[in-house]
Amino acid sequence: MVVALSEVPSDERVELVDVPDDECRARLLRLGLLDGSVECRRRIRNGPVVVRRRGTEVALGRSLAREITVERAPRDGAPQ
Amino acid sequence: MRATEGADRGLGSGDAETSVALVGAPNAGKSALFGRLTAEYADVSNYPGTTVETTAAALGSLRLSDTPGVHGISSFSEAERVTRAAVLEADAVVNVVDATQLGRDLFVTLQLTDMGVPTVVALNMMDEAEADGVAIDVDALESALGVPVVPTVAVTGAGVDKLRDRLPEASAPESTPIDSYYDALPDGVDATRAEKTLLVEGDEPTARRVGVPGLATDGGDAPLAAVGEREAVYRERRTRVRSIVDDVERVAASERAPEERLGDLLLRPATGIPIALALLAAVFYVMGVVVAQRVVGYAEGVLFARYYTPAVEGVVAGLLPASGWAAPVEFLLVNDNLGLATVTVRYTLGVLLPLVVAFYLVIGTLEDAGVLPRLAVVTDRGLGRIGLSGRAVVPLIVGMGCVTMAVVSTRMVGSRRERLITTALLGLAIPCSAQIGVISGLLAELGVVWWGGYLAVLLGVLGTAGVALDRTLPGRRDALIEQLPRLRLPRPTNVARKTANRTAAFLGEAAPLFGATAAAVSTLDYVGALDAVVGALRPLTAALGLPASFGRVLVLGLIRRDFAAAGMTDLALSASQTFVGLVVVTLFVPCILTMAMVLRERGARSALLVWVGSWATAFAVGGGVAAVLEVIA
Repeated sequence: MVVALSEVPSDERVELVDVPDDECRARLLRLGLLDGSVECRRRIRNGPVVVRRRGTEVALGRSLAREITVERAPRDGAPQ
Repeated sequence: MRATEGADRGLGSGDAETSVALVGAPNAGKSALFGRLTAEYADVSNYPGTTVETTAAALGSLRLSDTPGVHGISSFSEAERVTRAAVLEADAVVNVVDATQLGRDLFVTLQLTDMGVPTVVALNMMDEAEADGVAIDVDALESALGVPVVPTVAVTGAGVDKLRDRLPEASAPESTPIDSYYDALPDGVDATRAEKTLLVEGDEPTARRVGVPGLATDGGDAPLAAVGEREAVYRERRTRVRSIVDDVERVAASERAPEERLGDLLLRPATGIPIALALLAAVFYVMGVVVAQRVVGYAEGVLFARYYTPAVEGVVAGLLPASGWAAPVEFLLVNDNLGLATVTVRYTLGVLLPLVVAFYLVIGTLEDAGVLPRLAVVTDRGLGRIGLSGRAVVPLIVGMGCVTMAVVSTRMVGSRRERLITTALLGLAIPCSAQIGVISGLLAELGVVWWGGYLAVLLGVLGTAGVALDRTLPGRRDALIEQLPRLRLPRPTNVARKTANRTAAFLGEAAPLFGATAAAVSTLDYVGALDAVVGALRPLTAALGLPASFGRVLVLGLIRRDFAAAGMTDLALSASQTFVGLVVVTLFVPCILTMAMVLRERGARSALLVWVGSWATAFAVGGGVAAVLEVIA
């Protein structure tokens, strides 16, 4: 299932599949956040989203999080 | 030189001034390691043409320089540009890698070896890695990277001697997988391996410097067609990082550390916002109440008013003859507004020095603890409404203590654009603690309704000005990508060392600037230009429904904001006149020290914008408020 990062609830694992802005993509790539799945640590309502991979925590601003498309992990059995 | 690439770099080159740069991610322990390696006096200065601070000191016969923390060698921000330039200039690099963040930090390491920069890796924070259950095979890492790797714990000094011993072994592998990308460069590019690497990564400053035909065009729309290459290079490098980490690192399952739970609390709005407010209140209390009022009050009211100033006035009167030519000199030295030997010294040592020390202590502590980025995250949403990101929260709070120091702290705000907006809002609508003291006294006499009205007007101006600047300034808002460092207990020695170095550097630069401004204003005062200004202001003060003597208040406000507010207590004004007057003096131009700082940090154009904008806003809003009050009354 493909949604925007800003829509992902806290504690879910997702893969960042599309970061439209070239520079932002390069910066996230360097930090290793595009290497595989990341944990969505916290989503602050109308605020930044904090994602984590192997102990590296990065806050992504709201407008950026809206542009980023993620693939939600298939094993996710969250209740509707 | 370029033809013999590599041969002219390294510690064996035997130049008179061999330089080593300390490079690594923010909070990887660079400054602690720098302190351990040099342990002597360090020069803190701005990197030429920027507001980015760099530190350098002697390390034996070498010169060691600290660089701003980065996650890659490129040009995405001012700090990155500084680090990139430092890496290109250095003869060798000590790459500080956080052992708990191997997967993140090895990207920079591989980038350095791809660039052929002679490197030694300091694998720092080995103690924390161990506590986390992370085991790293150092020998395997060393052979995988092809450069020396020394495990260190910078805060205790463990491994630092070994690091110093192995510095001469700094090296880079002969070739790395990056070589295959060089084919994409046009034939006959005259560049070092470091420059070639940055070129295939699409680094524009390097392209301009090297002057690659076909790649760089002067001011063209698509200077580098190599953006696609950059992504391929970065992805390939990440693949190497992953495979090295898989080989050398073993992670045992571990308990969640207590600082991680604290980090969680800071990020959860329900707990994070109260914690952030408490921290900001503490910052305000230290800067605004303890230092700006009590310490500065004592220094000014007792040390300077009772002892220093009378003594200096006596000396000057005794030295200078009473004849005509000496009068201007005496005025310049000891006048009550900005005398060079009296008031200027008092401002610098009695006001600025305590504030600067307190500011650097507070900021250094928050920096060391890793709290600042988290404060930025929880406040990002609120500040986003006025065109700022969460990073602007600290300058705005420090500004309620001292706007001058807040202007300095705008350095931690991301882009130039955001810094300008923050500076403008600080100059315009944030009253400093000295002013808040006098203003709250006057408002208390008026009553709570006026208090509310005053706050509403200020917040309205702050919001409107923020939105207006955000809409009109060129460029767009920076995307917030903030790496959150691990929370740690701040280390007093580290904080104290940074504070001492930064304070000395700051005063060394600010004092002469302030002295020159003071001399210029005193000269204007002597020739009667200030009185002419009071006269010229008469139509404006009349338009606000205020007496002509209010012009004198404003002229005092040009020098120091609390003088303006204090000057109002001497005027006999009605409630609504007082209210209009307070709104005007709050929105009016920042004090002369702040303007000197805006000039230094932002340049003449921005300073002029802030200054003229403050005049215009103060009178426009003041006039509007006066008109509204007239209708209501």
